[in-house]
Amino acid sequence: MENKKALVVDDEFHIVQVVSIKLRNNGFDVTTAENGKDAYDLACQLLPDIIVTDYQMPVMSGLEMIEKLRQHEPTAHIPVIMLTARGFAIEEDQKQQLRVAACLSKPFSPREVLQTIEDVLNQNAAV
Amino acid sequence: MKKEQIIWITLSTLALGFMASAAMMVLLSMSAFVSVLLLSVAALMVGANFVVLWRYSTGLRKAARAVAVGSQVKISARYPRGSLLEEIGSALERFVDESQQKVKALQTENGDISLQLQLLQRRKNSVEAILNSIRDAVIVTDDRDRVILANETAEILFGFHFDPASFQPAEDIIANNELVWMISKSRTSKTAHVRHELTFDNDDSPVTYDTVLSAVEDDNATVIQVVTVLHDITREKEISQMKNDFVSHVSHELKTPLASINAYAEMLVDGEAEDEETIQQFCGVIQGQAQRLSRLIEDILNISRIESGLIKVSRQSHSLALVVRDAVEMITSYAQEKNISVQSPTPILYDQVSIDRDMISQVVINLLSNAVKYTPAGGHITVELELNEVEGQVQVSITDTGVGIPAEDVDHVFDKFYRVQANNKYAKGTGLGLNLVKQIVETVHGGSVYVTSTPGQGSTFGFVLPLSKQTMTQTA
Repeated sequence: MENKKALVVDDEFHIVQVVSIKLRNNGFDVTTAENGKDAYDLACQLLPDIIVTDYQMPVMSGLEMIEKLRQHEPTAHIPVIMLTARGFAIEEDQKQQLRVAACLSKPFSPREVLQTIEDVLNQNAAV
Repeated sequence: MKKEQIIWITLSTLALGFMASAAMMVLLSMSAFVSVLLLSVAALMVGANFVVLWRYSTGLRKAARAVAVGSQVKISARYPRGSLLEEIGSALERFVDESQQKVKALQTENGDISLQLQLLQRRKNSVEAILNSIRDAVIVTDDRDRVILANETAEILFGFHFDPASFQPAEDIIANNELVWMISKSRTSKTAHVRHELTFDNDDSPVTYDTVLSAVEDDNATVIQVVTVLHDITREKEISQMKNDFVSHVSHELKTPLASINAYAEMLVDGEAEDEETIQQFCGVIQGQAQRLSRLIEDILNISRIESGLIKVSRQSHSLALVVRDAVEMITSYAQEKNISVQSPTPILYDQVSIDRDMISQVVINLLSNAVKYTPAGGHITVELELNEVEGQVQVSITDTGVGIPAEDVDHVFDKFYRVQANNKYAKGTGLGLNLVKQIVETVHGGSVYVTSTPGQGSTFGFVLPLSKQTMTQTA
C-alpha cells in the first residue's frame, strides 16, 4: 500500500523536524516548508493527502495559505491541520469557512498530532 | 412740605393784613403819631413771624434733604405748644422716623442682595473656571435640545464658539448624529445616567470617548436639562490593546520553545529516536530550547523591571573600552564558528563612563551576537569607539557585512517584539534583544541608540553614552 503524503509547514525548524520524524516513523512520506508561500507551491505540485501547518509564519501565514489552497481546484479538498500558539486567534466561522480540519495548540504532543491526522484521514476516507 | 409752608405764609399774610387794617382805622380816628406807632408794632410782629417761619422752614428743608439722601435726621425744632405748627411738626417727625426705619431696612436688604449677587457671580466664575479647566468636553442642553452651556474642550472638539445667548440646537453644533440622538433620547426617556462609548473619526485617527449623559429634572419631574460629558479614553484603549498584544506576544514566544521541549521529550519517551546520535540530537534540542526559554523570560523580566523602574542599577565609573573588549572576547568563538572576523576597537584617550557594567556588557553582547547572526560566513565585524569631547560623549559602533535591514523596517528594529520578517530565515529571535538594548542605554543610562543599514551590504548598530563627570573634568 502506498504511503500517505504529508506536508509539514512551520518556520520553526525544530517543530518541522519533530513532526516529520513522528510521521515518517509512522509510515508517511513527509515534505517540509518554512512558510505559507513555499508550502502552497509544494502542495500544488505534490497534492499531499494532508497538510500540517503553523499559523504565524513569515512571507505568508498559515491562514493565507489555506485561503489560496481552497481557491485552487486541485488543492481545494486537501485537509489541513493547524498548529498554533494562538488557538484563540482563529474564529470558529473562519475555521469552518476555510474547512480547517483541526486546530492544535502549542505546546502540542507529536502523538496527538499523529492521532489527529489519522482521524482526519479516516473521516475523509469514510466520506 | 410745600403745603405747610404755604399755610404759614398765608396765615402770616392774613395777620399782616389784619394789623394793617387796624392801623388804618386808628389812623383815621386817632392822631398820626399813634397810627405810626401801631404800624411800627405791626411791622415788628410781621418781621418776628417771618423769622420764626424762616427758622422752621429751614429746619424742615434740612430734614427733607436728609431724608431724601437717606441720612440720619432728628428734627429738634421747638414749636409753639398746641399750635398747628406743633401738630404738623410732630406728624412730620413721625413720618421722618418711619421713613428712616424703612430706609434702614431697605439698606440692610439691599446689602444682603448685593452680597448674594457677589456670591452668585463668584460661584458662576468658579463653575466656569472648573468647566474650562477639565479636559472632558461638557455640554448642557435644555428641554428643546438647545445648547445652553459648553466648555472650551467641547468647543474645540466640535469646532464651534459657545454663545450663551444664541441657544443653538445641538444638531447644528455636534457633528455626530449618534450623540445628538443620545441627547434627545436621554431627555425623552428621563434616564438618570446613560453611559456609552463613542468613536469619532478625527483626521483618520479615531478618538474614543466614554460618554455619560445625565438628565436633570425639576420639581415636577420634567427633564429641563441634559448634561453630556465626553471623556477621551483613546490612550487608555491603546494601552489596554498594547497590554493585550504584549501578553499575546509573550504567550506566543514562550510557547514556541516550550512546544519543542515538550515534543522532543515525548519523542524520547516514545522511543522515536532510533539511534544514539538521534537521541543526542533530541537532547541537544531540548537543552537549546530550554536555554532559549530561560533567556526569553530573563529578557521579558529585565524589560519589565526597567519600564517599571524596579531594576537595581549599580553604576560605577568603568572604562568603556575594557567592557567592549571583554564582550568581543566572549563573542569571538561564536563568530569563528561562522568564519566571521571581529575587529576590536582602538583604545581612546578618555573612555570612563558611569555605568552598570553587567548591563552595558549585555548591550554590547546583544549587538555583537546580532551582527554574527545576520552576517554570512566569511563576513567581517568592526567595533569602534569614538570620543566626542565637545558633547562629552563616547560612542560605540558595531558594523557588519551582513544581510542588512529593509528601509521600511529600520525605524522599528528597536520596538518590542519587532522582527524583520525578511531576515527570519537567517536567524531566530524573540524580538526583545534590541528593545532591551534600547531600554538599558536610554532609560537606565540616559544615552541613545542608533542604526543605519543598507540591504545586502550590512548594518551599523551603535549607542552613545555620556562620559563620567570625572572624565569630563579631565577633558576640559
